[in-house]
Amino acid sequence: MTDHAEKGLLPAGLEDVLPPLAAHESAVVERLIAAFQAQGYDRVKPPLLEFEEALLAGAGAAVAGQTFRLMDPVSQRMMGLRADMTPQVARIATTRLKNTPRPLRLCYGGQVLQVRGSQLRPERQFAQAGVELIGATDATGDAEVVALAIEALTALGVENLSVDLNLPPLVGALAKDLGLAAEQVAELRLALDRKDAAEVSDLAGGHAGLFQELLRAAGPADKALAALEKLALPAAAAGEVRHLAEVVALICAAAPQARLTVDPVEHRGFEYQTGISFILFAKGVRGELGRGGRYEASGPNGERESSTGFTLFMDTVLRALPAPAPARRVYLPLGTPAEEGRRLRAEGWVTLAGLTAEADPAVEARRLGCGHMLRDGEISEIKD
Amino acid sequence: MTSPVTSNEPLILAVPKGRILKELSPLLAHVGIEPEAAFNDDDARQLRFSTNHPGLDIIRVRSFDVATFVAFGAAHLGVAGNDVLMEFDYPELYAPVDLKIGGCRLSVAAPRRLAESDDPSRWSHIRVATKYPGITRRHFAARGVQAECIKLNGAMELAPGLGLCRRIVDLVSTGSTLKANDLVEVETIAEVTSRLIVNRAALKTRSEELTGWVESFREAADAA
Repeated sequence: MTDHAEKGLLPAGLEDVLPPLAAHESAVVERLIAAFQAQGYDRVKPPLLEFEEALLAGAGAAVAGQTFRLMDPVSQRMMGLRADMTPQVARIATTRLKNTPRPLRLCYGGQVLQVRGSQLRPERQFAQAGVELIGATDATGDAEVVALAIEALTALGVENLSVDLNLPPLVGALAKDLGLAAEQVAELRLALDRKDAAEVSDLAGGHAGLFQELLRAAGPADKALAALEKLALPAAAAGEVRHLAEVVALICAAAPQARLTVDPVEHRGFEYQTGISFILFAKGVRGELGRGGRYEASGPNGERESSTGFTLFMDTVLRALPAPAPARRVYLPLGTPAEEGRRLRAEGWVTLAGLTAEADPAVEARRLGCGHMLRDGEISEIKD
Repeated sequence: MTSPVTSNEPLILAVPKGRILKELSPLLAHVGIEPEAAFNDDDARQLRFSTNHPGLDIIRVRSFDVATFVAFGAAHLGVAGNDVLMEFDYPELYAPVDLKIGGCRLSVAAPRRLAESDDPSRWSHIRVATKYPGITRRHFAARGVQAECIKLNGAMELAPGLGLCRRIVDLVSTGSTLKANDLVEVETIAEVTSRLIVNRAALKTRSEELTGWVESFREAADAA
């Protein structure tokens, strides 16, 4: 055994989740799933491993670089370990559930593994929970998933939640109408992603003014939409903005307390998004709580269904929540009748049964982290 | 539609120590930020300073650390050169305003005699001393050359003369340090100026406050 093995060193980005956080994480995932199911999103459970070509098809290509691969010794084909569950759910929708009526509402929760952690999320393994709304093309569908995310997270106790709404196809549509070269667009996108105003001006040439206005339009939704509507945008881009305004109005009606911002040029991580997308933040919490948006779920025979959905990153969601309330633990000295224990558990107590006779059960109770013990059939608090 | 989020948590502005700080002072004055007196005292041990705005504090850190503090959200705003931004390429940073201060360039330099006889098209591997291993590796990889970087934190100009390596990548402003060490600038990788940087999540969740500061700095930079 090496020193590392003796000391329990784990590979970078992987960790043992200990009590009480392990129980907290799974309880929070279950509460989210329950909130999704309450709005008709049925749970599916894809496998951990899939054949690479299925896992990385369509929108799955976005996580190709983050996917661990291994050879299936049975079929001799390459398999990938899921780095994101969305492509799996889209695959289920377009294959096994292709005859289920649309719009199809699915939800999921599970662990994913990524090759590299990111700067703000060094974890390589983390839990995801999310929903996909397959085959709903209208603004109402875009608004439904955003409102669902807000409702589910707010019900969990996430405070100061903020939703940033984005239009990933906007820059592409603009570039096409303005006749910008593909290479120029790629560099412009990079500069827009960094909100590097100086670089954007250099790259946009004659259209610098327009792109500067787009950069400056980012902000609270009402102000941003007003600024966007004033811009002289080509037809396709103006259509995107009108659609966004419609979705914002629907979200406000469904979740009036929501804090919405709009950033029309945000694009990083939305390479495969085909419509309104969004990122969930909570004030004072590092990183994104989740992200989602419209994409094309593609079937094995090239059929495409416009879909939307979101994925929550549980590590960040948990950081945005208050620490779990400690369970009420009561110590049952050796010899306590089993019936007593059942009664207390039914009342919501966590019972720890003494396995040996103790001279002073109160000392033993405190050693095991119990706030209370059973004394003469009565619960008594352990005083320090 | 947007419920105003009121918070007593102050915003933190991270600024670099040294040369840039002197050029930054007039901009801060234009924006209306007056740090407490200790801020302008180079001997002060204090690292965090209050300002005339109760909701805004300033921290003074190394230029590379400005980007790190802001990227992780420990500071909300910062002033950093685009050399630092390029080196880290933190996705969590926005650089909305070119402050047009701290101008210089990031360049490749080599001993004069080597530069005269060298044919870069034959390179497959070179060794470079630099404070910017990320930029250097990417810059040379883009033309098919593998750059082995030796990370130094200063006095790069000494490296070629002492046989540590033959080339360096460093900031050049007047070029006098290069000349004194018998080095010549071979090519410019990027023009550098200082930028106002903003943490991405903070810009989304404290949009009104931060957008206000960004606008003020933009006006100050345009006026200068």
